[in-house]
Amino acid sequence: MKLLSYVSLALLVLGMGPATAAWPDDKPIKFIIPFGPGGFDAYARTLAPALEKILGAVVVPENVPGAGGRIGANTVYRARPDGYTIGLWSMPGMTMPAIVGERVRYDLNKLSWIAQLSYDAYALAVKADSPIRTLEELCNLGRPATFSGQGGFTETASIATVIMMAELGCPYKIVTGYQSSGQATLAVMRGDVDARVNPLGSLMPYIKSGDVRLLLTFERETSVPEVPTIAELGHADYVNFGLARVVAGPPGLPDDIRDRLSGAFAEAMQSEKLLEWSQKTNNPFAPLDSQQTVSAMQEMMRFYENYGELLRMEFKGKR
Amino acid sequence: MDFGLLSDAFTELIGSGHSHYIFFGVLVGLTFGVIPGLGGTTALALLIPVTYTMDPVAAMYLAGGSMGATSFGGSMTAILLNTPGTPPNAATTFDGYPLTRQGKAGLAIGASATASAMGGLIGLLSLLLVIPLARNIIYLFGPPEFFLLTVLCLIAIAVATMGKLLRGLITGCFGLMVAFVGMDSVSGELRYAGEIDYLWDGVPLVPVLTGMFAVSQMLALALKGGSIVSEEHRKTKLSGVFTGMQSVFRHWTHLLRGSAIGTVIGAIPGLGGVVASFFAYSSAAQTSREPESFGKGNIIGVIAPEAANNAKDGASLLPAVAFGIPGSAESALLLSILILHGIEPGPSILVESQREIYGLILAITFSAVGASIVGLIGARWLMLITYVKVQVLVPVVITVTLTAVYVLEGKLGDVVVCGVMGVVGYLMIRFDYPRLTFIIALVLGRTMEQAFHQSMIISDGNMYGYIAGRPTAIVLVVFIALTLLFPAFRSYRSMKKNSA
Repeated sequence: MKLLSYVSLALLVLGMGPATAAWPDDKPIKFIIPFGPGGFDAYARTLAPALEKILGAVVVPENVPGAGGRIGANTVYRARPDGYTIGLWSMPGMTMPAIVGERVRYDLNKLSWIAQLSYDAYALAVKADSPIRTLEELCNLGRPATFSGQGGFTETASIATVIMMAELGCPYKIVTGYQSSGQATLAVMRGDVDARVNPLGSLMPYIKSGDVRLLLTFERETSVPEVPTIAELGHADYVNFGLARVVAGPPGLPDDIRDRLSGAFAEAMQSEKLLEWSQKTNNPFAPLDSQQTVSAMQEMMRFYENYGELLRMEFKGKR
Repeated sequence: MDFGLLSDAFTELIGSGHSHYIFFGVLVGLTFGVIPGLGGTTALALLIPVTYTMDPVAAMYLAGGSMGATSFGGSMTAILLNTPGTPPNAATTFDGYPLTRQGKAGLAIGASATASAMGGLIGLLSLLLVIPLARNIIYLFGPPEFFLLTVLCLIAIAVATMGKLLRGLITGCFGLMVAFVGMDSVSGELRYAGEIDYLWDGVPLVPVLTGMFAVSQMLALALKGGSIVSEEHRKTKLSGVFTGMQSVFRHWTHLLRGSAIGTVIGAIPGLGGVVASFFAYSSAAQTSREPESFGKGNIIGVIAPEAANNAKDGASLLPAVAFGIPGSAESALLLSILILHGIEPGPSILVESQREIYGLILAITFSAVGASIVGLIGARWLMLITYVKVQVLVPVVITVTLTAVYVLEGKLGDVVVCGVMGVVGYLMIRFDYPRLTFIIALVLGRTMEQAFHQSMIISDGNMYGYIAGRPTAIVLVVFIALTLLFPAFRSYRSMKKNSA
């Protein structure tokens, strides 16, 4: 990926005029993906060609994986706010390190939010032939219910698990360390653990194939027939558990550039080709413009900060 | 086994007019294989944007073509320069390079080409055989089994160091120490990383392997002087290729065993090609009647790891094919190519995208064969490298290698790690400490630790009870015991023979 961006950079440098030329004509726009191949990567790479057409610029998706997305986040945060570096952000994942008291080098409140691409509600799944039928049964197994988690404890799905189980007073254990969200789902199917909280969209293929069964979804109104929502079970707060894929640039991005980028993303997500891709691959769009994204992110951060104390306490015990 | 689907895929390959993409893939794969530091994953990552406008099946041909070709490309550098082109080729250096020094490079390359091609074919057959059982196989391996598997691999390699067990254990522990740098994948806690962002994800594998095998070797050469092949062994053309090709069939048991090891290890996520080829090598050396001839130019030492290396490619697709969940870096990239083309990987991927999947499997297999043919044609000229004076060769190889390591991720830290490991590796050669155990410990350390922690969390610390209730785990424990007892058994037998 790097090599490609160098090549395109070199090609552009050859024909480059003074740096004052109007954005975005003189340099490629780097679109940082803070993870390796997977859902985030797919969104960025599918959107990039459409953005190129709309903006008339070269858009180079670049994977900067590492440290649960933090290395990519730092890269975007430290870049010059000239519109030539933007990045994808996993939310609320990137709020977690600060909330549980880990040192981070970016301040989400200062980021220049550009657009939201998608929002996946979470759902709670068990193995298809598991005897567990309801959240209540999962809560009363006579032993702690086990969940699978990707990476360390600050994965968004694990955070949702911790908040729900701790607040409901249910005994639980999270088996963390699975290499990807897919591997963590596989852990449920294999019987390593009882359950897993995962984005609904990623679970769908495994529900269709009869490998896993949903206990509930974290939605306001369920999109899966005969599966209750967490709101219907009386815990309306938890409808906020979900995963947003958001585009943001470094702090201080000029308003006009931000708005043009935001407009380009909105236009791209309406194009027929992308809508077809979105439907076929089960990667839904949930477009928000930059103002809407700012308020959605602020609300999201406030929601999780409410649980800061709880999370810090829970983590102390688990580590 | 579904040969019908395979023959459909074959008909499509011939009729589609896309088959040349396999050939392009082979050329890309060979090139990336030959250059130390660049490997199959890099080739795939670079090919992704190229496939945007292609038909998905054509994209799979291109990707599969490059995936099947890298390992033979890498074996040529391993044999000629003692510098593995890709990490899994490291095991091939042990006997391939001594053969080159004896003027038998042709023999080694012929054997490697044939073993790669045959390994690829055997890998294809075994993949087709196990696809219907894929789910059951994957369900057998939970955290405790992963832990025991890594222990088994480590012990097998340590036993294989023969006579240097203590030194092997020392470098193995060193490897584990390096593997534990960075964020603990279970608790998320940082270890030994200090304030350096670069170390958060641990010490990266490719720069370490490249430093330890490529740079260190170049340092050793530079300090020795001369050229790789001395004047008296020089020949004007690559001879013995045909004998080398025949030798693979003469040692067919090793071909089969190497391929079997490659298939089994390839199918298990997290172990990967390096483990597969080292394991194949050490098992060949260990069960040989003349183990002392290994490391001095035994042709079996080329055949076994190269067969394993190509056989693992097909098998590594197993978790991806069965569940749409990648089990290796390469299959993750393959799946992301499919996503780009509007195909959603999931448990029904084999039914919904059989054209693409079977096209990919065919491409990998054809590429293993094609790469061997193309490689054999090019090997004549590549061999001349070994006649070049060290003063010229060493700076060129080191520059190319470090550049490749930098281009991979664009991180200067990778270059530093590669250089440091080059020096460490040289010292290990100089003072006769095995690098093998270090590397295997480094590769397996994280999986081992993670699987151990997960098993402990699941079983509430009652590891023995947990293992006792799982048949697969018990079988693995038995294997571990047998591996540990094997050297004792062998020395007992030879003692008896001597006294008789």
